[in-house]
Amino acid sequence: MPPSKPYSFVRYKTAEEAKEAYVTLNGKEIVDDLGQKIILYLNFVEKAQWKELGLQALPPGLMVVEEIISSEDEKILLESVNWTEDIDNHNGQKCLKHRRVKHFGYEFRYENNNVDKDKPLPGGLPDIWDSILEKWLKEGFIKHKPDQLTVNQYEPGHGIPAHIDTHSAFEDEIVSLSLGSEIVMDFKHPDGVTVPVMLPRRSLLVMTGESRYLWTHGITPRKFDTVQASKGHRSGIITSDVGDLTLSKRGIRTSFTFRKVRQTPCNCSYPLVCDSQMKETPPSFPESAREASQLEREYVHRVYEEIAEHFSSTRHTPWPRVVDFLKALPSGSLVADVGCGNGKYLGINKELYMVGCDRSQNLVGICRERHLEALVGDALAVPLRSGSWDACISIAVTHHLSTAERRVAALQELVRLLRPGGMALIYVWAMEQEYKKKKSKYLRENRLRQGKEEEIHSDAAEPGSLGEQVPDAGDQDAPCRVSAVTDVRAGGGSASKVTDAKLPVHTNRTSFRSQDLLVPWHRKGNPGRDEPVGATESRAPGPVFHRYYHVFCAGELEEACRTLSHVRVLQSYYDQGNWCVVLQKV
Amino acid sequence: MKLLTHNLLSLHVRGVGPRGFPLRLQAAEVRINPVEFNPDFVARMIPKVEWAALLEAVDTLHLVEVPKGPIERYEHDEKFLRQMHHVLLEVDVLEGTLQCPESGCLFPISCGIPNMLLSDEETKT
Repeated sequence: MPPSKPYSFVRYKTAEEAKEAYVTLNGKEIVDDLGQKIILYLNFVEKAQWKELGLQALPPGLMVVEEIISSEDEKILLESVNWTEDIDNHNGQKCLKHRRVKHFGYEFRYENNNVDKDKPLPGGLPDIWDSILEKWLKEGFIKHKPDQLTVNQYEPGHGIPAHIDTHSAFEDEIVSLSLGSEIVMDFKHPDGVTVPVMLPRRSLLVMTGESRYLWTHGITPRKFDTVQASKGHRSGIITSDVGDLTLSKRGIRTSFTFRKVRQTPCNCSYPLVCDSQMKETPPSFPESAREASQLEREYVHRVYEEIAEHFSSTRHTPWPRVVDFLKALPSGSLVADVGCGNGKYLGINKELYMVGCDRSQNLVGICRERHLEALVGDALAVPLRSGSWDACISIAVTHHLSTAERRVAALQELVRLLRPGGMALIYVWAMEQEYKKKKSKYLRENRLRQGKEEEIHSDAAEPGSLGEQVPDAGDQDAPCRVSAVTDVRAGGGSASKVTDAKLPVHTNRTSFRSQDLLVPWHRKGNPGRDEPVGATESRAPGPVFHRYYHVFCAGELEEACRTLSHVRVLQSYYDQGNWCVVLQKV
Repeated sequence: MKLLTHNLLSLHVRGVGPRGFPLRLQAAEVRINPVEFNPDFVARMIPKVEWAALLEAVDTLHLVEVPKGPIERYEHDEKFLRQMHHVLLEVDVLEGTLQCPESGCLFPISCGIPNMLLSDEETKT
């Protein structure tokens, strides 16, 4: 299969039916709606990734108002746009490679995706829109009178890349009227969720809040849209109910997007995608201990405090090999769990005396509710006696430290706690989520993801769940450097690090493209368990939290352990998306 | 917070080293939690106990008689083991403070949880 080409996959119930389809259709010539001759090529594949999309909700803050303009007015309004005027700066008419565009009020500059607020275009918005905008204001479809209008004309085959309208350029509310033809617009959440929305002809799309500030919107450049046959031309989400899908040929669509220009910096609740706020505090790779500490405070500690309960509810299954380690310890052993979280491991082996230590007051509170011994403390300064502990565990903790120096220091703390001969078990998230061609459960969950909102961050969602240990060289797309040792020795940056590099935001359930990144945690906004499953408005996805991670390359954890004094590495292995080390204090 | 846990607590500041053991305990609210008696388990804890620290902590709590140290052949002495079991595992400090003997800094115990986080100032080296 040649790469970078679109393919359709068809699944048949029986092999016989598949064979029959192949024999009948392969090599057949058909004529499409535009009169073009097409030859169908079929091929069997061993397996296909099947996305079972469950019921989706409209992005929060999104609304489509149908039939807001009558057919008569539509005709008038379309004719009012003069596309054949000479190209001059007055009305900001430009001819783009794809769609045709005109601006009124303020010109939108595509070089920086912003408006020039000091140079309003003369004439303002065309008079013809006055009464319509007044009407929309009165009926509550819009809350503010817009002062900027962009007219886009899309011919079949035209599109617009996914984007968020620049926060600092425009106020919250952005409305877009579709005339001439319906279209399907794709909304995408930073987590990776894509929601295709039908915008019927003569409908008004209203984007506010999350749909305006956080989700991107775009139109795929193509001549046909996949739509829901049963819904006809009504608005709504295009679901994946294959039996109900059909193709709809696009017509010429003219969109009228009304916006109000912002005069002050944006102060929305979505700082990570906000150009105003990113200018102030972009989360970037830390250059000093102080920055590292601040980054961790903001993107680890604060987040866990906020999500503690939800996080704990998804952390119920202990990982078998950690359990094995604990169960193999002699009765009466003193064990410290540094970064104990909700205390998942503290009660596993009743023959041990285990004390948990975690940075999050709320998570330690959950330990306490379960009658487990735990205290609030920092992994870099564990408030426990040195040389007194028979064993330590550090499960999914060290990867939250943002410099190599701090990561090594955390490992050093574990060694400090151990008595001679004592053992420590360390688990960290691996960069390599695919091992020996087998994907970790974290990646495999991707196809089920959109359908099971509650499962999104279950134990299986993050690595280290039950199953395969397949140690071998990973086949990764991103170059991997073992940074732990070099960074510590060099006392600073390694060659491949870019100064002031911003931390990329990871898309959940995909391979890691960077060792240092922000991983979203998606907390549901108050869904009750008995909430009716079709209630699109109430099934709003909640706020997104970003957690800082440094994912480890093959060998990196082991290398870091080997730099510690009085230590022997007993085991080094890969366990479902984690790199693991057992070390012993000598 | 059990007294065995208290016995294992020690302040350790990054880059400076241990600054305080034992932490001086002041309890405002204490509860006795019955715990199943496991003589072997208790016997294994005994060698790990720092007795001076334990006695100091117990002193502030005005508890019943506590052995001054491990007695000979304690592993087989049920009376001794039961006493230690009670002291180490059944006494639960719910509210109070822990004080670093060196710096005098106070750390709160609330809802049975000691909070040993040092402020930024204290961690400056």
